[in-house]
Amino acid sequence: MKSIFLIDDDPIFVYLTRRIIASTNCPCEINEFTDGELALDYLSKMREKAELLPDVIFLDLSMPVMDGWEFLKEYDLLKPNIKKEISLYIVSSSISPQEVERSKSYTVVADFLIKPVERGKIVEIMTGVSETTP
Amino acid sequence: MNRFIHRLATRLRSKKKGVSKSNADEPDLKLISEQLDRQKAFYENILNKLPTDIAVFDSEHRYLFVNPGAISKEEYRKYIIGKDDYEYAVYRNRDISVAHSRRAKFLEARESGKEIRWEDSLTDPHGNVITHMRRMFPVYDEKGELSQVIGFGIDITDRKIMEEKQAALVKQLSANNAQLIDFCSIVSHNLRAPLVNISMLVDFIEASADPAEQKMLIGKLRPVIDNLHATFNELVESIQVRQDLEVQREQVCLEACMKRTVDGLQTEINRLDAHIETDFSAVSVIEYPPQYLNSIIHNLVSNSLKYHYPGRKPLISVRTEKAGDNVILSVSDNGLGIDLVKHKENFFKIGKVFHRHPNAKGFGLYMTKTQVEAMGGRIWVESVPNEGSVFFIEFANRIKQAS
Repeated sequence: MKSIFLIDDDPIFVYLTRRIIASTNCPCEINEFTDGELALDYLSKMREKAELLPDVIFLDLSMPVMDGWEFLKEYDLLKPNIKKEISLYIVSSSISPQEVERSKSYTVVADFLIKPVERGKIVEIMTGVSETTP
Repeated sequence: MNRFIHRLATRLRSKKKGVSKSNADEPDLKLISEQLDRQKAFYENILNKLPTDIAVFDSEHRYLFVNPGAISKEEYRKYIIGKDDYEYAVYRNRDISVAHSRRAKFLEARESGKEIRWEDSLTDPHGNVITHMRRMFPVYDEKGELSQVIGFGIDITDRKIMEEKQAALVKQLSANNAQLIDFCSIVSHNLRAPLVNISMLVDFIEASADPAEQKMLIGKLRPVIDNLHATFNELVESIQVRQDLEVQREQVCLEACMKRTVDGLQTEINRLDAHIETDFSAVSVIEYPPQYLNSIIHNLVSNSLKYHYPGRKPLISVRTEKAGDNVILSVSDNGLGIDLVKHKENFFKIGKVFHRHPNAKGFGLYMTKTQVEAMGGRIWVESVPNEGSVFFIEFANRIKQAS
């Protein structure tokens, strides 16, 4: 059972992503957070409880209260204290090369995915996770 | 120069005397003296006609020479020879600080042994700021001793004004560029996001064979399309504000403007039992495009209502005050407030939302800022989280006295 966190304020996109993940038939549990702050609060509280932490984070950039960039800045600091290997993917509707470039300055970012994310890419990420997780 | 010529003439005279050829030499001496006078006049004429101010100092910063470019009145020019700036300041009953700063420059040139340059600005009797580029450099005699320090200044006011214009232009261009980047970001995030949703929904509809599911998915298209529509309209409107430089200004009565806003928000005001007070006694009329002013006040008051503190009756105060020639309009509330330490940079940016509110889209303040800045004004905010916010708008030089 894989755990996935979707950090995105767009309910339609979250709904569609859930459907795509479901269609991959990988057994998983999905948690939603509508902004960076809610997700960060959770991760910070649960940082030592590996069983409650995700394997994969899909992070949107444009969100209220705490956007994706602000989240990354905090997450970068929190990461060393998190007792689990987490793969973080930016999932954004942005096609700006500057933002892609900016994401490379964060080593915690595994990849920058531009919406819409293809089903194949999700499968790849899910299976990748399956292999590396004992 | 004078001294030098004088000394030369004296030396020549004594030389002639020493040879003691008496009378026979007299016409010669007169000729030389005349020649020297002509040369003196020639050089002085050049120095006096140069459109530059020139001053020559001895090694103790006493004046040896000034040209009319530096001191136009002959009487003053005569007085200053052999004096320094302190004595001159007393003589002319002027501020001594100029003498201080000039002495500092003189010492800098004398100590360093090199040319120094600086710019100084002063205000002329007509109130115009005149800027000079000044240089000062030491001159040494054949023995290597400091013989004089020469200073001169060129009026660079025109160049300075040009530079300021260019700087203003560069600032304007950077502002335009920042807006362009904002615009790209909004196109990328706020327009592309709903388009992606639409295309994904259509993919699912196409892939589905179940009519009931298809219907459900089609139902999800509606809010996405509405959102796209709204975003698109907001964008077009903000571009129109920026481009509509000819927009008509009118005398707008703030009381009437306020009434429109209150009427428009009446349902919400009643629902929250909000109290709105106004004080336009300082300034009651502003010359502004009425649709902008209506929109600005509506946006700020509606924000105060939208981001009220739960369980606290909204108290909103709208007032004007004078700030020199300008008018400041402020809207204060006792609402949620904003953490400005966190959000300062993004405050008025497009698509930025600071609260978890279903109707927060991040357009209102961006639009307000656009409408304020397009007319040469500025907007800023003060806020304490959980206590409230005050938005200030300074309207540039558009004061109209209430009668």
